[in-house]
Amino acid sequence: MSVFDAITRSAFPKIAYVIEPRFSGGTSAAVAAELRVAVEFGIVEVHAVTSKTFGENQNVAPVLRRVLDELRIPLVWDAPRISADFVILHNPAFLKFQDALNTKIFARSLIVVTHENFLRPGGAEGFDVLACLSRIEEATLALRKYLAPISPYNRKTVKEWLAMSRIARQWAVLDADWFNICQTEVQSPCEKPEDRRGRHSRPGFEKFPSIDDLDSCFPKHAKSNVILGADALLNAKVLRAHWKMLPFDGISVDEFFSMIDFYVYFTAPTWQESFGRAIAEALAAGKVVLSNPETAATFGDAVVSCHPGDVDQIISDLIAKPDRYHEQVTRSKTSLAQYSAASFRTMLASVLTAQSEVLR
Amino acid sequence: MIFVEAGTRSLRSFDAQLILAEQLSTRGYSACIDAEYLPENAGRGRVYEASKFLVDPDEYEVDTLFVLGAEDIGDRLLASLRQKQLGADVPVIATGRFATQQSYVGAKSRLAYALGREANVIDLTELQPRSLLPAAASPLMTEIQPAPRAVRKVPNVTIVLGSMELDNPEILSCFSRMSNQLVYNLRLIVSGAQKEVIRSSPFHDLPANLYTDLSPHTLARSTDVLVMFGSGIAGVRMADFTIELIASGGVAIDCTDDEAIVSSGVPALLGPKTPLALAGYLTGKVLGNTSQIAEQATRSQWLHSVDISRLEAAAGLRPKTRQPKERSQRTLFYPTNGVGLGHAQRCTVIAKALPGDISPIFAAFPSCVPLVRREGIDCIPLVQRTDMTDNANGNDVLTYRRLGAALQAGDTLVFDGGHVFDSVYRVILERNLSAVWVRRGLFPDGRSRHRMVQREKVFDRVIVPSEAFDELNDTYSHGSHVHNVGPIFRQVTQSEEESNQLRSRLAERFGREFKQLVISMLGGGVASDRSAQLQAISGMLEDREDCLHLVVTWPGSKVQPATFGWTNTRVVQTFEATRLCLAADLVISAAGYNSVLEVLYNKIPAILIPQSAPYLDDQERRARALADRDLCAIITEKEFMKLERTVSDCLDQGDLELYRSALEKIELPETGAAEAARIIAQVKDEK
Repeated sequence: MSVFDAITRSAFPKIAYVIEPRFSGGTSAAVAAELRVAVEFGIVEVHAVTSKTFGENQNVAPVLRRVLDELRIPLVWDAPRISADFVILHNPAFLKFQDALNTKIFARSLIVVTHENFLRPGGAEGFDVLACLSRIEEATLALRKYLAPISPYNRKTVKEWLAMSRIARQWAVLDADWFNICQTEVQSPCEKPEDRRGRHSRPGFEKFPSIDDLDSCFPKHAKSNVILGADALLNAKVLRAHWKMLPFDGISVDEFFSMIDFYVYFTAPTWQESFGRAIAEALAAGKVVLSNPETAATFGDAVVSCHPGDVDQIISDLIAKPDRYHEQVTRSKTSLAQYSAASFRTMLASVLTAQSEVLR
Repeated sequence: MIFVEAGTRSLRSFDAQLILAEQLSTRGYSACIDAEYLPENAGRGRVYEASKFLVDPDEYEVDTLFVLGAEDIGDRLLASLRQKQLGADVPVIATGRFATQQSYVGAKSRLAYALGREANVIDLTELQPRSLLPAAASPLMTEIQPAPRAVRKVPNVTIVLGSMELDNPEILSCFSRMSNQLVYNLRLIVSGAQKEVIRSSPFHDLPANLYTDLSPHTLARSTDVLVMFGSGIAGVRMADFTIELIASGGVAIDCTDDEAIVSSGVPALLGPKTPLALAGYLTGKVLGNTSQIAEQATRSQWLHSVDISRLEAAAGLRPKTRQPKERSQRTLFYPTNGVGLGHAQRCTVIAKALPGDISPIFAAFPSCVPLVRREGIDCIPLVQRTDMTDNANGNDVLTYRRLGAALQAGDTLVFDGGHVFDSVYRVILERNLSAVWVRRGLFPDGRSRHRMVQREKVFDRVIVPSEAFDELNDTYSHGSHVHNVGPIFRQVTQSEEESNQLRSRLAERFGREFKQLVISMLGGGVASDRSAQLQAISGMLEDREDCLHLVVTWPGSKVQPATFGWTNTRVVQTFEATRLCLAADLVISAAGYNSVLEVLYNKIPAILIPQSAPYLDDQERRARALADRDLCAIITEKEFMKLERTVSDCLDQGDLELYRSALEKIELPETGAAEAARIIAQVKDEK
């Protein structure tokens, strides 16, 4: 497709994804899931950009590789130019160590999916947003440029950042959340819950609360406490005899979920999940999830919103009343339904439909 | 307590921690470094420097936490920050030179994740757009001295060799010439490799320090003119040295190949690129004009960029004026511990001869402490060297800390010993002390002589207590600061009647009458174990029924259990050995400085058994000088089989009378304690 075609044709859309395929966590999983939907809307190209964030190698995240193979979409590395009706660039933060985006983008619409919060709790920048967006802007010729937040909290940070930024007028914010597609099938909860607690995350410091809070969440008197992704704690020799501490890839996620009834997840107060993919997985596994109010908000009442100091009481109440435990797990279904592939299809259709722009 | 931490752990970052801790300490803050940061390969000098700041973090409360090198933060720091669980009111300040906004945001985020709250991250590139060493984790800022520095009569010139190659023999020859002229004192700062080249050259006595021998702060205080050679700045320590020197009114000359100092905007002079042209440049253009050059530097905008008060303001720190403790000037004697307690005893003799307005104190090893205290002099106990630890000079680090705590600027340190320990060397320079070295002679031959006098320059005076005979008075160094004084030893007077009373008391004490009293004093200090010799002497005197043999040692000395197994031999531990000797018929003694002088001046007939060890004085020469004059008998190491016959000659054949007669006739030099005391008092008054 020529540059001219890219900005004039609309009948048979070409959708180009621009990604850093080496993200190991939520970004790659989210892209992989939505590619299955996107292929229904047009011709999909996937372009990989090599960024300094991940060095020189070309190790594509396995989850992404599987989907690309399945859909028979070739991964094009570092194309000098991308022309498409819609260019969807996932997670601009991958450009944070770049001086430039060396791929030129020509599109009717550029959609930048903001997987990472622009601001941290308290208002400090999460990464050099201005630099990342500027690199994209400098490399792009597009009629419209959108930022697509992935959750209400993420949207809040994007809007607050834009309100302070001189480049706000260059970017519109999509109305609908460009959410992560989640598994909506919820496993049956255990019949009689026990005080078996756990958490699962990458091992970064941002993913863990203070040691005091960890102690509150995973106390001695619990029947078991499983921490999957405890690499940093192990390295720092923050050890407790009553914690089963496993490195990030120590066991499979399914195995982990079989060891717990309560998923207790708090992060550093200076960091906030933008979506909370791991929480969605716990909900789908039929576990009761306890987390801070901001993280819980993405999943409505499916997640028990609380503070670390409340965890013990809540768990003990739910163990005493299994019916309430089951009722809580049941709420997951409704919550996860809003993040189904079907919901994403609806969202994507509205974004890609010309009328949606005309009638705004 | 302000904890100074670093983003990553390395020698370079540890240097940065040391530099900031020192700067903060100078500004009146209490600063410390978690002992876990001490690198394994820190090297001797850094260990001394760090000893002031290293702490067990569990023992101190964190008031403020400083993180250096925040542009590169490792997980180890983050883990330790998390584990510290600092209160919300404890400020955390991080400094870094951030090349990009992302680097700044990233550092801020990582710290925030570990702390659970935001840190105050200061971008040094804003405070200091042109850093002397942009790669340094250290903020490279210092206190700006408002007043010009006092001009030294003879300025100190320090030359940093940097990456200079020493393959041209002319270079060392040139430095040697420079070090021998009188208009300035020269000091070289060199790498380990350069020091080896110097050591193995004919110019091995060049005054050369390693980069880590002294802190940049001490270097700046003891330097008037800094000359930097090589390519670029030779590391963060030298960068800080340069900054501190200029900020305190010193002069820096940039002789680097790439003009590294001047090109950073530092108000330094541009000097010759080769050391061969330096002497003329120094004497012709710099030394007479240092005040004007320094004055010009004070007008430079650059000074503003290194003013530590700006960092304090950014960090929200308030400097505290730390007033020196109000007390009279102190004169502290530090005698080392050798074979016996001779150094300590000599020092007490000098101390007691000081004018009445000086109240001396001592810092001494445990074996010497009672000796000092019984003279009515206060004494700080030091820790004896031990072979039980991996760190051979660990006790000297403790000595350094104790001396440092006891002394402040204007005090006087009198050191008596052959080897100037790092503790002594550093404390004199760091505390700006008046310093006197009491250094008796007869050093053993060899290279160690040069090493012994290499640190002489830090002393204002060297007092050389002479030997009794001229041929024993070697000269190791020259200059107006070196003062030869008469022999210094403890003088005891005891009448014949008192001696007889003492013999009676000994007979009573040991329950046996005797006609002949033999005293053995072969030394009991840390450097010797003479038990075999004592056993031999005890054995040969065992059959003499009318003989009492006393093995006399200092209190606290080690005595082998076998010594107690003889009928005629008794062990006496006393500080009054001389009184026993005066009452004895024969003394068998080592030939240490004090023992020999006591024998001579008190005219006591003796058999001298010189001791030998690589680090001891040349006792054989000393003993031989007496024997050649028929003043005593001598048994050298190789002649030990002669001992029995010599003892017999003395006790049975009348040799004692021969020696007594010679001792009566010999003319001896005037003693030197009073002169030594006068010199010490004079030095004290000079500063």
